[in-house]
Amino acid sequence: MDCISTPVATADTRPRLTARLAALPRGDASLFRLLFGAALLALALGLAGGFVTALARARALNLFGDDAYRVLTLHGVSVFFYWLYLIQAALLLVLAAAENGRGLALRPLAWLGAALMLAGFAASEWISAIGTPLLYDGSPELAVDDPRSVGVFALGYLLLSAGLAAAAVSGIATLLQPRRRGEAEAFSAIGFALFAWAGFLIVSAIAATNAFLPGLLWALGAGPFPADHGTEWHILFHNLHYLPLMATVLVWYVLTQHLTGVTSIHGARLSKIVFAAYLVFVPPTSLYHMFLEPNLSESVRVVGSLLSLFVSVPTLAAFAIIVSSLEASARARGATGLFGWMKGLPWRNPAMANMGWAVVNMLVGITFAFVLIQEKLAPMLSDTFFVPGYFHFFAVGVLTQTFLAALMVILPALGGGALWRPDLLRRMPALVTLGLLIFGTAGIAAGVMGVPRRVFDVGYGGMAPAAWPVLMALVGVGATLFAVALSVSVYGVVRTLLSRRAPATAESRRVDWTDGQRGVGAVPAWTGPLSVAVLIATMYVATIVAFEIIQSLPIVAIGGGHGH
Amino acid sequence: MKMTEELWLVVAIAAVWAALAAVYALVPSLGMPGYVRVWGGGAALFLLLAAVLAAAGWTARRG
Repeated sequence: MDCISTPVATADTRPRLTARLAALPRGDASLFRLLFGAALLALALGLAGGFVTALARARALNLFGDDAYRVLTLHGVSVFFYWLYLIQAALLLVLAAAENGRGLALRPLAWLGAALMLAGFAASEWISAIGTPLLYDGSPELAVDDPRSVGVFALGYLLLSAGLAAAAVSGIATLLQPRRRGEAEAFSAIGFALFAWAGFLIVSAIAATNAFLPGLLWALGAGPFPADHGTEWHILFHNLHYLPLMATVLVWYVLTQHLTGVTSIHGARLSKIVFAAYLVFVPPTSLYHMFLEPNLSESVRVVGSLLSLFVSVPTLAAFAIIVSSLEASARARGATGLFGWMKGLPWRNPAMANMGWAVVNMLVGITFAFVLIQEKLAPMLSDTFFVPGYFHFFAVGVLTQTFLAALMVILPALGGGALWRPDLLRRMPALVTLGLLIFGTAGIAAGVMGVPRRVFDVGYGGMAPAAWPVLMALVGVGATLFAVALSVSVYGVVRTLLSRRAPATAESRRVDWTDGQRGVGAVPAWTGPLSVAVLIATMYVATIVAFEIIQSLPIVAIGGGHGH
Repeated sequence: MKMTEELWLVVAIAAVWAALAAVYALVPSLGMPGYVRVWGGGAALFLLLAAVLAAAGWTARRG
């Protein structure tokens, strides 16, 4: 069992991130550890549910009817809501406290937020385990004769939303404290991103209230049946796409600076504009979620198609900023080769490995995301296995691995002990990605061939195409591989959280490219812009290929109004 | 970046959200009142955050 220790200097004039975290008040550290622990519990539950679901889809397990949909509900609720939002609340608070340098402001509100989120977690898991399985979108139409399930399910998400809003307000107050003390006149790029992200969390709480309060009122006999749930869910769901992506890119900024000392060579101003762009593009790009509505007018479809092209602009811009800053700094220190400069990155650090592979997963996932949101393809693919095939690149490959990377840096600094077996943990992201590639390739192919998304028995009495069971078996193989590898990462992070072993004095396996930033610009840095250009070309090719394949199949799209 | 630039970025966010909320409110054929509530609520929130930023900047300059 080894641990990490190689002290290096940093570029920031402030103390390093880990030093600032270690200096936080003990009460704040306890809150953060509680939230991180709850988030990891949600991830573990969701991972188990997802693994069982994948085995059932591969016919390795016989799971049908309510049992199957209950497991699927637990998987979606645990991962998509409680893992992703507990971890975001925790990261917002901990990074805001680190920016402040003196811990949290409005501390009781932050604790109240945590209590509300944990209460929501308990309510959602309980009703998902014993009530009518509503899947993660909690559609009341699935339980018109079971108001209790609808009401408790809605209550869980409403408590989560209230908790997120309370935590976000505490985060905003924390970020403003240096200014109120007269110690700062402006945010850092990360501080501004946290500020905007906190606002976005509150808006998402508004969207969740808009979607789920009618269900609770109906269950209590205080309102009509929420017949518009599907539409209201689309609004929330759109926000839920952007929030974790924005958080991911923010974590990449934080980790890049921590692991290499490199900050944006383009200046904080451009970074702030990019983070603001996330919020500017959120409402206009929301229309593509409505492409499945059969009564949507043609003009709205055209406008929605055009606007959807902007959906990934902020993420790609942030990606280009980070990559070009790293490359320019590496080349200023003498690195050579089109991709050779990457060898100097601290790949032996599990956080760097998770972040690096997260970027690879993002490039793959975003390609197929663009295929899916095409107006002509969305109705044909949205209820097929194409959807889970592509979005696990994001949910697992990008978001989960990025947040685990953050925990690998943060937990030892918060007194969680030395990082557990870093030499083992750094190998997991490649295995996770390999599993995702098998799962995703087979799942996307199955989706294009028409395998439905949420149907567990796709044999259709022997009438299904012969390729379907083969592809779904590959889905099970890929899921097994990435579930096992991800479980090792999660176990390592939990061991770190629970460890009482004194952390190393420095958590390094880091590099210091600070000096390189002085010579930036002498050698061109093309990897970032080139990657974006290649990605856009790949999106076009993937869209054309998917369209041609679907055109060649004997199927008709009818639209169903289902959510993703 | 000076605080005024941060302030204007937040105001720009609020403006875009308010414009979208207005479109959904003024074009009934879109039939999506939930969008008015969420984007409108978001616009109000970001305007509030802009005011908070401005107030914090004013406090910092005074102090």
